[in-house]
Amino acid sequence: MDLFLQTLLNGLLQSGIYALVASGLALSVGVVGIVNFAHGEFLMIGAFLAWAASASLGLDPLLSLPVVALAVFGVGALTYRVSIRHVLLAPELNQMLLTFGLGILLQNLALMLLGGNTRTVSTPYQASSLQLGELTVGGPKAVAFAFAVALLAGLYFVLYRTTLGRQMRAVAQNRRGAQLIGINVDRVYLLAFAASCGLAAVAGVLVSVLLFASPTVGLVFALKAFAIIVMAGLGNLTGVLWASVLLGVSEALVQTYVPGGGGWSDAVFFLMIFGTLVLRSFRGSR
Amino acid sequence: MSDSRQPNVSQAGQHRAGQELVIEHLAAGYGKVQVLWDVNVRVGPGEFVAMIGANGAGKTTTLRAVSGVVKPTGGHIRLGGHDITRAAPSEVVALGLGHVPEGRELFAMMSVRENLELGAAMRPAARAAQQHTLEQVYTLFPRLQERSKQLAGTLSGGEQQMVAVGRALMGLPSVLVVDEPSLGLSPLMTQTVFEALKAVNAEGVSVLLVEQNVGLSLRLAHRAYVLENGQVVKEGTGEALLADPGVRAAYLAL
Repeated sequence: MDLFLQTLLNGLLQSGIYALVASGLALSVGVVGIVNFAHGEFLMIGAFLAWAASASLGLDPLLSLPVVALAVFGVGALTYRVSIRHVLLAPELNQMLLTFGLGILLQNLALMLLGGNTRTVSTPYQASSLQLGELTVGGPKAVAFAFAVALLAGLYFVLYRTTLGRQMRAVAQNRRGAQLIGINVDRVYLLAFAASCGLAAVAGVLVSVLLFASPTVGLVFALKAFAIIVMAGLGNLTGVLWASVLLGVSEALVQTYVPGGGGWSDAVFFLMIFGTLVLRSFRGSR
Repeated sequence: MSDSRQPNVSQAGQHRAGQELVIEHLAAGYGKVQVLWDVNVRVGPGEFVAMIGANGAGKTTTLRAVSGVVKPTGGHIRLGGHDITRAAPSEVVALGLGHVPEGRELFAMMSVRENLELGAAMRPAARAAQQHTLEQVYTLFPRLQERSKQLAGTLSGGEQQMVAVGRALMGLPSVLVVDEPSLGLSPLMTQTVFEALKAVNAEGVSVLLVEQNVGLSLRLAHRAYVLENGQVVKEGTGEALLADPGVRAAYLAL
């Protein structure tokens, strides 16, 4: 029984970071209408910035987090202005090629500048752990989860309780309608895309604490984020939360109960995309 | 009879200064397809003007050009004293235009109330008066108050049309353009929506109405224009056009 509860807890903790990455992606897909294949690379930038701040200034990643978030928010805004904005009306294939190319560009820039090694960050709470009755939680995991929850709470507060958030949801639900009531759609796109990149970077900072920074560290998180937003329904911002928990917990269950589960758990999200698409097609055909 | 067709701006406290909307030699289209060739329309302050014409005559495109969604290739559009020919939709709304679009274009996953409140969100003056305007809209459409918490996407077509009109009114427009409000509505519902437009106009708001329901709109409007193939081919008072043999034959099947 304890093992089962421990597994559920591990899954829940993992889902915090998934939700962070996926909610950013959901913003760019849902609000801007751009499937950003470079999303994982913005995560990677965040991870490297946190590593750099830690290695050169001795700054704890969680302290550099606000600065990293702002910096990558700026990079995202610039990316929107320079590239994304010009393909909004282009065919989807062109949009995908653009963001895919952007991802490759960023990945290889990182490889050129920093090499392919993984860079780890050391923190004082690295080896610590929390004891909750019979359950144990690693220090970095607990800290990352707490940050993820706080950031998500902030994001959903903005989306559902502020004028800007309402504008974003309005644009996501009906572009034409939003335009005609006077919402500056271009400005909303810019802010949503920049916020999407900022969220990825914040997740990257947490990943640098949990794992490491490397040029390809974002890939697997981006893929899982895609699985999550497919499960949630494209553009469904609240669905992202439960889909993240579902993925995190399923992975943890596979890790614990499937023999050789460590290897299989990374296949779970493929299965989930597959399952969702099959289910949707049945529902659609009726 | 003719009295009821005069602009009525006298109701104390309700008066909103309607602005003038002038469309001169407007040309516009989509890509290489030119839809409008030479459209000239004037809506005086507080006036109710209808624009009628067959499918594809360019009625919707004219309204979209006014809103800034379609960029004109020629001509001029003025709202009050401002040239809005090349203005962005958000700028046009800021200057006092309200647009009730074809197909309503509501925020389907938001409640009726949220839809209405968003209508006021983009103009500081409208935001300040939001509570008061909301009550006015609820008075105009009591049904919306009953449904205020319901998601807009789950409403009937007529109720959605009420939300679309209400949402535009929440922005305190001085000129309201309305695109095919009767589309897909029952005759009774059409009557309700048209009554509401008449009441809005009576408060001083200038109205430009595009309709396929020619009889009803000509009876309601002070003046009307007939659009054919992207050009204005006839204009006159509603009465005069109702009596016009050409209009009767082409649009009223009489």
